[in-house]
Amino acid sequence: MPNTKRYLITGGVGFAVGTFFLWNYPNLGLGSALLGGLVIAALCLLYSAPLADMIKAGLIAGMFGAVMTIVYGTHKPGVAIIAGMVSGLGAGLLAFQRSPQANPKKAAILGAEAGAIAGAWTGLSLFVMAFVIAPAAGIDAGDFAEHLSETVILADVLGLGSDILILLFAFAFSTLSGAILGAASCAARSLPLRPNIPLLAVIALPVLLIPLIDRAGNLLLLDALIPIYIFILLALGLNIVVGYAGLLDLGYAAFFAIGAYTTAMLSSPHLGINLSFWLVIWVAAAVAAIAGLTLGAPTLPLRGDYLAIVTLGFGEIVPILFRSLGGGPPGGTLTLRFFGMPIGIEQVDLTGGNKGINPISPPHLPLIGDFDPSNKIPWYYLLILIMGLAIFFINRLRDSRQGRAWMAMREDELAADAMGINVVRTKLLAFSMGAMFSGFGGAFYGAFIGAIFPSSFDFSVSIILLCMVILGGLGNMTGVIVGGLLIQGADKMFIPKGAELFRRIAETKARAEGSSTVGVSALQDLTQQRLLLFGIVLVVMMLVRPEGLLPNERRKAELHPDDDTINSNSVAAEAEADPSLAA
Amino acid sequence: MLQLQNVHTYYGNIHALKGISLEINQGEIVTLIGSNGAGKSTTLRTISGITPPRTGQVLFEGKSLNSVPAHKIVSQGISQSPEGRRIFANLTVRENLEMGAFTRNDKAEIASDMDRVFDLFPRLKERVAQRGGTLSGGEQQMLAIGRALMSRPRLLLLDEPSMGLAPVLVDLIFEIIQNINSQGTTILVVEQNALMALGIAHRAYVLQTGAIVKAGDAATLREDEDVQKAYLGME
Repeated sequence: MPNTKRYLITGGVGFAVGTFFLWNYPNLGLGSALLGGLVIAALCLLYSAPLADMIKAGLIAGMFGAVMTIVYGTHKPGVAIIAGMVSGLGAGLLAFQRSPQANPKKAAILGAEAGAIAGAWTGLSLFVMAFVIAPAAGIDAGDFAEHLSETVILADVLGLGSDILILLFAFAFSTLSGAILGAASCAARSLPLRPNIPLLAVIALPVLLIPLIDRAGNLLLLDALIPIYIFILLALGLNIVVGYAGLLDLGYAAFFAIGAYTTAMLSSPHLGINLSFWLVIWVAAAVAAIAGLTLGAPTLPLRGDYLAIVTLGFGEIVPILFRSLGGGPPGGTLTLRFFGMPIGIEQVDLTGGNKGINPISPPHLPLIGDFDPSNKIPWYYLLILIMGLAIFFINRLRDSRQGRAWMAMREDELAADAMGINVVRTKLLAFSMGAMFSGFGGAFYGAFIGAIFPSSFDFSVSIILLCMVILGGLGNMTGVIVGGLLIQGADKMFIPKGAELFRRIAETKARAEGSSTVGVSALQDLTQQRLLLFGIVLVVMMLVRPEGLLPNERRKAELHPDDDTINSNSVAAEAEADPSLAA
Repeated sequence: MLQLQNVHTYYGNIHALKGISLEINQGEIVTLIGSNGAGKSTTLRTISGITPPRTGQVLFEGKSLNSVPAHKIVSQGISQSPEGRRIFANLTVRENLEMGAFTRNDKAEIASDMDRVFDLFPRLKERVAQRGGTLSGGEQQMLAIGRALMSRPRLLLLDEPSMGLAPVLVDLIFEIIQNINSQGTTILVVEQNALMALGIAHRAYVLQTGAIVKAGDAATLREDEDVQKAYLGME
């Protein structure tokens, strides 16, 4: 048994964790306390050869389940199930990627194994949530269990503690979904499909299911997810400009603002023009694209730093412009005329100044009616549709002649010119294509929020977007999406939720000690430090992995020239051809 | 095939070419020799549209190129291997060559042209998946020439193909240039290595501070006393 040592270590750690629970929470009973540890140990014993890979896959996915559980586990029934399912899906996918087997049965087993590890993690974190964090934050563990009413009933029937059952749920769902996914991805492989389609389906499935899970679990995830997705859409557009064409744009938020303001002005009672969202979104994209051309034209001779400064200026000008195009006292005298005909604007208040434009009309569909701000599900699917189209389109664009022209221009503008590439056109197209996608994003944002303010389009927005692109991997769409999910997810979901937990823990502690809770919350407020955290992450990333999390192959090669072993071969070959070089 | 008629080119206020007239006939190798700053590269840049002439005419097959933008010159049938090679360092050898055929759309023809380039430069074939920047200097020069050939030019402009190369490789490169010419491509080569250039060229022009001071048969110029003294290092 070559892996005995590993089993023993893993099992020992698991057992220690279990004992820790027993020690801290003697009222839980021996059985449940040991279970966490025993499960991990038992799982390890079940595995055969690809153990390390399975553990890795399960751990990676399980981490997600664990974070989900700890952050969102408070009082939310069904969290175990969802977290288990999601981590199982992830684990199955990872397992299959690591050891692709031709046989669906084998793949299912692999997926199940990985899912089981992920499930154990999730279950463990549920334990931590219920019996360590929840009590510390002043949430009664019993209270927590009671919310899982179905679980409690089932627990009575089975004669088990509800805590054990939570773990079992996470475990079972995780294992099951891991197995299904493993088998499915294997089965899909034998179908006559392009190889990326099964992978796409596997990614699309959870994305499409999120609203249903969200509703079932009452998690209110969509409130955070939709703004995250909007930012990802923007980052994808920025990636065209910065990643593909190599033009550093520090004022990208300006196009976002232009898209949003176009929508606000054309689709709200503010100016009396109330066009349908379905028309306005195209207008917004077109206006943003034209704005992209307008920015691109004067910057044509500029490169690198100089270009960055000009775009920075553009990014500052646009919100100021929108701020000053309105907000004056009502009843101004200027009337806009079109060929002598007044067009219904009796005052100059185009943009509402600092107050912004409020309200903006939501989209309308025959069966659904007006999109309701309180029901996020139609919004979510609409955004998914826009993003799906954007991703498809950008992907095709990258592989087209235009994409190659961008690549050549990024590498060497003069050489690109010598290849017969129209550099002027290529550059302008990059700006306007990039801007177009933020026009779509801006239109959706305006309609979704229902009101816009000039302060929503600050410099910091451009910078965050740029960080998303760079952190994820410049020039690689998957990387940009992952980077966006991480940065925006941390920013909008995990840090605020975590901060709330910290605050509650601190308050509970202070209350227990009989001291005042005033000031504790401010001290413990993690959201205050989010930019600091963010900065640290970026600095570390740039030192350790400058090419981003999921780099574009070419950029990776560029940043790690030492890895190019072929290089030395080439020099050696040269030396061979010319003996004088060898000396 | 190509005629320059009294061409004056400026960089801002700097008068770089002061009335150059030259002619290149179909099937020839013509070389421009001269010292640093004589205007050799500027002449090429003028032909390829990067720095268009202020006065005078550039005629290619009878049509004026004066107002044709640089990126359209390639599809007219002129391509150049620019000074300093300027290959795409992060693209593979194959991608570099494909980029050379950017103006073309005929996939099969492009593939056969790529094979032709690999016949000329077998070394490139060995390195087909390697990034351009990791090639040695000689290989990069081969790639730059190969890339220029991918647009199927009738006139090939080579700027300092021997620059920075070991003598053995210079011989090899010039041999290949002759080879390309024998397959029917007209070549204008700008060189500091006048001895080598005069060795392969049919005709030559000698440039000095923006003007042509001597012209004629390469073999004759090679024997010319002034040329020998100034450019060939002979007393």
